[in-house]
Amino acid sequence: MLSGINMLCFSASYAVALGLEVFGLWTRVRLRRVALLTMASGGVFAHTWYLGRRVAETPTAPLASHQDWYVLAAWALAVIYLAAKFYYRQSSMGLFLLPAVLGLLGASRFAATVPLATFQAPRVWGRIHGLFLMLGTVAVLLGFVAGVMYLVQSYRLKHKLRTSQHLRLPSLEWLERVNSRSLGAAALFVGGGFFTGVLSRLAHTGDQNFVPWTDPVVLTLGGMMAWLTAAEVFRLAYPTSRRGRKVAYLTVAAFVFLLLALGAVTLQDSLHQNRLDGAPATEAATANAIAGGAA
Amino acid sequence: MNLRMIGCTHQSTGLDVRQQLAFDAAQANSALEIWQNRFVGAEFVLLSTCNRVELYAAAADKRASPSTEQLPNTEQLINAVLEFHKIPRQQVEGQLLTLANEQVVRHLYRVTASLESMVVGEPQILAQVKQAYQNAQDAGSTGPQLHELFQSALRTAKRVSSETSLHQHRVSIPSVAIADLATCVFETFDDKHVLVMGAGEMADETLRYLRDAGDARIHVVNRSPDHGQQLAEKWGGEFHSWDQLWQQLALADLAISTTAATEPIVTAAAFAGRVAPLRHQRPLFVLDLSVPRDFEPAVGDALGVYLYSIDDLDQACQRNRAARAAELPAAEKIVVQETGRFAAEVHRRATAPIITGLRAGLERPKEAELQRLFHKLPDLDEQSRQEIERFADRLVNKMLHPPLESLRDASQNGTPHGLIDALRRLFRLED
Repeated sequence: MLSGINMLCFSASYAVALGLEVFGLWTRVRLRRVALLTMASGGVFAHTWYLGRRVAETPTAPLASHQDWYVLAAWALAVIYLAAKFYYRQSSMGLFLLPAVLGLLGASRFAATVPLATFQAPRVWGRIHGLFLMLGTVAVLLGFVAGVMYLVQSYRLKHKLRTSQHLRLPSLEWLERVNSRSLGAAALFVGGGFFTGVLSRLAHTGDQNFVPWTDPVVLTLGGMMAWLTAAEVFRLAYPTSRRGRKVAYLTVAAFVFLLLALGAVTLQDSLHQNRLDGAPATEAATANAIAGGAA
Repeated sequence: MNLRMIGCTHQSTGLDVRQQLAFDAAQANSALEIWQNRFVGAEFVLLSTCNRVELYAAAADKRASPSTEQLPNTEQLINAVLEFHKIPRQQVEGQLLTLANEQVVRHLYRVTASLESMVVGEPQILAQVKQAYQNAQDAGSTGPQLHELFQSALRTAKRVSSETSLHQHRVSIPSVAIADLATCVFETFDDKHVLVMGAGEMADETLRYLRDAGDARIHVVNRSPDHGQQLAEKWGGEFHSWDQLWQQLALADLAISTTAATEPIVTAAAFAGRVAPLRHQRPLFVLDLSVPRDFEPAVGDALGVYLYSIDDLDQACQRNRAARAAELPAAEKIVVQETGRFAAEVHRRATAPIITGLRAGLERPKEAELQRLFHKLPDLDEQSRQEIERFADRLVNKMLHPPLESLRDASQNGTPHGLIDALRRLFRLED
């Protein structure tokens, strides 16, 4: 029975969980939380099973293709959501986290399924590169979600809006902490991902000029790395920028860079592929490795 | 059902009379002991809080079990309480509440579920009822009747708490300020710098809620050192002279202001000039509980400042009161259901000895007749004997069915004393 698990199964589970979170804005019936946890846990279980099966079938999975990469990032966010649901029992975090999970799964439908790196030395670098960027993406998304929640909570308190029993958010202090740590982690992972991408390229060709600096994916990724590094330095050096609202704005801006990078990857997948189809075999594989990393 | 309650509540009796009738723990123990000796066999629980003094009494139903002692009547109970406090009857005339049987059940359920409280839904009453029952148990004045009643009252309160949101909406200003609002800003209060400006009653009450929420570092600034030091000592905090106000405000995470100043103390200009540059936009949650305000409303516009005046908090309290009121019908419905259930159970139990007697009265001749038959027919095989026994059982059950059915139907509306007496006489049932 489990062999029939596909992306639709866990996407549907997350969508139902999101529906229950939205339903909770109006009323909180007794079994809503049980149903919500069941759907979210079921989704994470199916998601994990799916990734495990991918690893069993494809040794390079779960970072074998852009699609795998998206699915793995969505899995990490879903696990964070489930853990948060146990820590903050009554919170409405799912309203913010689950759309990000579903967004990543939706994007994976448009991402390339062709295998990425196929040769040994750069493949190791390529996988480290992909892993770093996946973690960086999760950190940026988490920071963005925490930032949005911070801004909503801060607005409600500042304008003395009615504290709803149904829309419960974590405290500003907790959100600020998550936000700051996400920003720091994102800067570290995205920076690491960018440099391992360059290293994997050099490891393969030894030619610095072979790095496609003008590639839109590489450009947006470089821009995001520069922004995150500047934001983190700014945050550490300037006391008022450590405050929740400023950090929230910084992570929201980082999210815009991430959207550009992901958009470039998704839109260029077919373009990359078409270009590589006409290139020599070794060159095609190398370019694929960079493309995978740039995701 | 054999229950009585006499007492006074905040709804029917003035504070002066309630104070005279109140019992402290030692007095309650002594009174329960006196009443037990005076009314042998009766059970007592005494509930004495700021808002009510209630004496619950019970005894086994005399008609159901005539051997037991009779329950003291309402007059005897009133006199017992008044004599203990040496209060003349005319002083409380017309101010006491007296209830009997199902009224007692319903009243206790409502009291325990906090539907009779001055602030409906306040949680303390449940602990007070538990404590009153525990005291009576320790004094040995309870028994099976009141045990059943109080346990069912606690179950009813639990149902009201879990099936309605009556208790979820806080209605006092300090509780709303700390539990509903400050927790939206701070994850924990353990390491927070709390500044208290002034040493009023409201500050004291707010600090009580704050202490329940965490171990904050409390700093008090007050114009009068005596009051300020007293408040700081009470809550394990530190007192600072009034001239350190700005320095303390720059360090604070949470500021509670309760001074009697007639003009705002913290103006927007003063905050921007003397405090904001030192804070670097660090969040500051301000509870301005003074009338008139101690903080100018424009202070709330500063980055990182969340300023709540007493009006803002009062609006939140009003909303919560309205939310509680909306939950009342659901809570009342539970009380009605549980009262009905308790009464049905009591009535069912009252008929139990009759049912047992009826069954035993038919079982005995059945057994005797079976023995006689088996003796006359010694060649019967085992299967035939079992078949005859089953026939006899069925016959007894069918004969018992109509009277038991009538008894059950009559029990729906109270203990059917007339029917019980008739069955006793018809079937010659002994007690």
